[in-house]
Amino acid sequence: MKEMSVKVFRFDPETDEKPHFQTYLVRVNDGARVLNVLHCIKEEHDPSLSYRYCCSSGQCGSCAVKVNGEPVLACMEEATDGMVIEPLDLPIKRDLVVDMEPYLDQIATLVPAEECPLPSQDVVEQIKPLRSCIECLACVSVCPALKVIDFSGPTAMRESLRLALDPRDTGDRVVEAVEEGLFTCTSCQACWKVCPKDIQIPGKAIEKLRALANEKGLTLPRHQSVEKLVRETGRSVDRTQETFLEQVPEVLEPYGEVRGTVGFFVGCMYNNRLPQTALDAMEVLRRNGIRVIIPREQICCGSPLIRTGQIGYINTLKRRNIDAFVFRNIDTVMTMCAGCGSTLKNDYDCPFRVLDINEVLTKFGIEPPARLELKATYHDPCHLMRGQGIKTQPRELISQVVDLVEMPAICCGSGGGVRSGVPEAAAALAEDRRIEIEKTGADIVISSCPFCEYHIMEHTDKPVKNITTVLLEGYREKDRREKEKEC
Amino acid sequence: MRSFEVIDSHVLVIGSGGAGVRAAIEASNYGDAVMVSKTIAGKGGCTTMAEGGYNAVLRETDSCEDHFLDTLKGGAYLNDRELARILVDEAPERIADLLCWGAVFDVTGECQVAQRPFGGQRFPRTCYAGDRTGHEMMMTLLDRLASTDVDVFNEVAIIDLLKDGDTVAGAVGLDERGDMVIFRSDATVLATGGGTKIYDISTNSSSGTGDGFALGYRAGAELIDMEQVQFHPTGAVYPYDARGRLVTEAVRGEGGLLKNTKGERFMEHYDPERMELSTRDVVARSIATEILEGRGTKNGGVYLDVTHLPRHQVETRLPVMLEQFLKFGVDIRDEPMEVAPTAHHVMGGLRISSRGETSVPGLYACGEVTGGVHGANRLGGNALADTQVFGKRAGESAGKAKKRNISLDEGQIDLQEKRLEAFYAGEVNPATVARSLQTAMWEGAGIFRTGSDLEKTLEIIKHLSTLKLKAANRCNLIDCCTVQNMLTTASLVVRGAILRKESRGAHVRKDVTQAWDVSNSPYRHTFLSLCDEGIETGVWE
Repeated sequence: MKEMSVKVFRFDPETDEKPHFQTYLVRVNDGARVLNVLHCIKEEHDPSLSYRYCCSSGQCGSCAVKVNGEPVLACMEEATDGMVIEPLDLPIKRDLVVDMEPYLDQIATLVPAEECPLPSQDVVEQIKPLRSCIECLACVSVCPALKVIDFSGPTAMRESLRLALDPRDTGDRVVEAVEEGLFTCTSCQACWKVCPKDIQIPGKAIEKLRALANEKGLTLPRHQSVEKLVRETGRSVDRTQETFLEQVPEVLEPYGEVRGTVGFFVGCMYNNRLPQTALDAMEVLRRNGIRVIIPREQICCGSPLIRTGQIGYINTLKRRNIDAFVFRNIDTVMTMCAGCGSTLKNDYDCPFRVLDINEVLTKFGIEPPARLELKATYHDPCHLMRGQGIKTQPRELISQVVDLVEMPAICCGSGGGVRSGVPEAAAALAEDRRIEIEKTGADIVISSCPFCEYHIMEHTDKPVKNITTVLLEGYREKDRREKEKEC
Repeated sequence: MRSFEVIDSHVLVIGSGGAGVRAAIEASNYGDAVMVSKTIAGKGGCTTMAEGGYNAVLRETDSCEDHFLDTLKGGAYLNDRELARILVDEAPERIADLLCWGAVFDVTGECQVAQRPFGGQRFPRTCYAGDRTGHEMMMTLLDRLASTDVDVFNEVAIIDLLKDGDTVAGAVGLDERGDMVIFRSDATVLATGGGTKIYDISTNSSSGTGDGFALGYRAGAELIDMEQVQFHPTGAVYPYDARGRLVTEAVRGEGGLLKNTKGERFMEHYDPERMELSTRDVVARSIATEILEGRGTKNGGVYLDVTHLPRHQVETRLPVMLEQFLKFGVDIRDEPMEVAPTAHHVMGGLRISSRGETSVPGLYACGEVTGGVHGANRLGGNALADTQVFGKRAGESAGKAKKRNISLDEGQIDLQEKRLEAFYAGEVNPATVARSLQTAMWEGAGIFRTGSDLEKTLEIIKHLSTLKLKAANRCNLIDCCTVQNMLTTASLVVRGAILRKESRGAHVRKDVTQAWDVSNSPYRHTFLSLCDEGIETGVWE
């Protein structure tokens, strides 16, 4: 047995004006789950506590709650001392019980044909991972798009794809999915990361549905023009100034001793729209002993096309990009765009290692910059934090140069083709982001993704800077101070 | 009297598992139907937790006669012959319904439904969807239900049946706020599932509290073979709070081996022919014996090992097992599971006709709440088939029931209100009573039984039944009613066990030496009702 203190969200709309937290001291068995703690509270401390549960073995999806802010199944998650238990971010009925039915009712159901041919083994294998959903609604509770715009949500999309694949179904699921907001998903992957069944909804459902929509000619016109641009120019955005690749030689030698060599995959945004940011990054790398090789013939990674279901040209892009690095015998390719990095790591089958610039810099370690008298907040790019699991490294770098104030990690709205395809959704999400930024009282916003930086810049009056730019400012300040000392 | 809502329908289905939803779908063909679920429909009950599979004869090399004989032999020849025959004959048609409605079962390269071997069967006839077969069925049934006009009442618990004279005419429910809802119906189907939550160690979901046995019994229905409680051989043993969680028979179906701490495949001492794939009663007793005789692990289990199987097979055929054990720190691809028996299924229940009629007019039943289909031991894979075969039959019979003019008996509703009022004045936490009951049942009416232990257990149940259960608020009223149902169900199990003075199937009386093997037993069903109890005699043909 062990003792633990837990904080539980309490709210009875019939008697309470507003919710409050109650702390309980409970004794539970070793290995007890969150659900066992709730049982203990109800049985021994407060019989009025309301929560939902049923199978107690992770199979029915009744008991999802937030523990320390993260959605989990109460029956499967091990209880820890000091944990905070709250309901999912869905309409609350009482205490930890949320209203699930309106969402469950939105999930499409199979309408069988007269003749019902069994799906083939191949189709069954495609459908099976989608069917393991237990409809706990953890995904729905974290979906940022669903909160700001008409969107049936991740699990409804998952089932729509299943129905679209099933030969027994007679509905026009792809058309329905488009109507239900297929193009409003930013591919932020929050749904996947909280799924107790690890269903990769953005990659395995949304993008597949978008590809089916593409076959039916339902791709949004703005997404089609991006595809056209990629085919014509090799880039997903047009140039507005001298590009990064035009400004750098193929090899950038470091200032001092060579501590490592990486190939650099710049990506369309940093090449065509934000070249100065990439140049700043190069300076930081050179200062820290890293030689950078920059193949000229690299082109768009294909992410904007994969996310929007336009996969016809992808294999060409992949081959050309891989060849560009393989021909130079590069064993480590560095990305600084979160979207490119996530694509190279997850959608490519690369014969080389891919590292994000935050990984490279923390792996080699950096020369300490001067501290800048600034309070900064950090926006986690979805494709960096969830797509690549990179969360601590940016913070490790940032906190060497400025004071960091945290804010909740939520999508800014720029990903998944939403910024170009459904701008009102992207703007609504950015507004949520702006509000969180305001709350921190920070002087600047730091991020590590060109899409996020570009998008947030348009929606906040605070300066938005890339991590490497801030590091470079730290180095320049350091140099200035040293010069001052010399004088 | 408080105001309450009255819901009228032709058919009322109580329960939202595989049998209940199937019954509601069928009943809706004949008139308006209402389904009441204690949980959110699809999430409660045990069907959604059923992992291993659905038995059906689908191949020319198999036969319904073989399935029938396997079912009877597995059931220690206590099965109602007609019900067992219907089960095996109609299981293929009912799985065809599910496939037509969109169920995604595993298929072979030839696009036939794939089948795997399960215990006690001479043919691999268990159809499956990985190890989440029941979940797949529930998802499919809910899709189908959505296309009907069935009115679903979620999170309403039925606390008693209403009668109009001798006939069941509806039910009294409590919604999630503790408000009373009255259901009035021409026909009522009990599909409330089982009740092994009366045991300390159980695979059942929170709804396995035996509500239907108690509701039926109080309404005057006859129950048979309630002593026949299946202990599934393989339940989790660690951590303590996860004890009893089902480890599917599919693990052994896929080739999993049982070993004691000496590394012996001990099943060769108990059933050398069928080994791990012997029937559940035999395997459960073997494991219990190994543990009792000191060859178990320190956590009180034996090993169930799949580490010799290809990793891919474990990942694709047993994904739920892999995931669950990983959550508790065991990678079953690399290390053995620890397992021990756990109360799983009640073979006994309401006596039904082939049309799902109980002994009380107006009341029908299907699924685990009924008795007779599985005899004294159920074969793995026969329960999911049972839900569909008899769910359809009960739904159809209820649908075809005559329309009646039902008068609402205010007196019965008053009685229920008084029952609820009394809980506010109660003294004892229902959870405490449930705990005491579960411990007593595990110790006194478990795998191995004696007359004196059973008598003692019955005394404990009687004592617990005299305690005044306390509701702290309106939402606790349901908890109190549930514990009363658990007490009633437990007493039915123990009374049945006292009546059956033989070892048969899952019921083992260590204090009785018998001269017959089960196929020649002089006994048939035990029976219990408000007015009578006993054991039928006579050798079956």
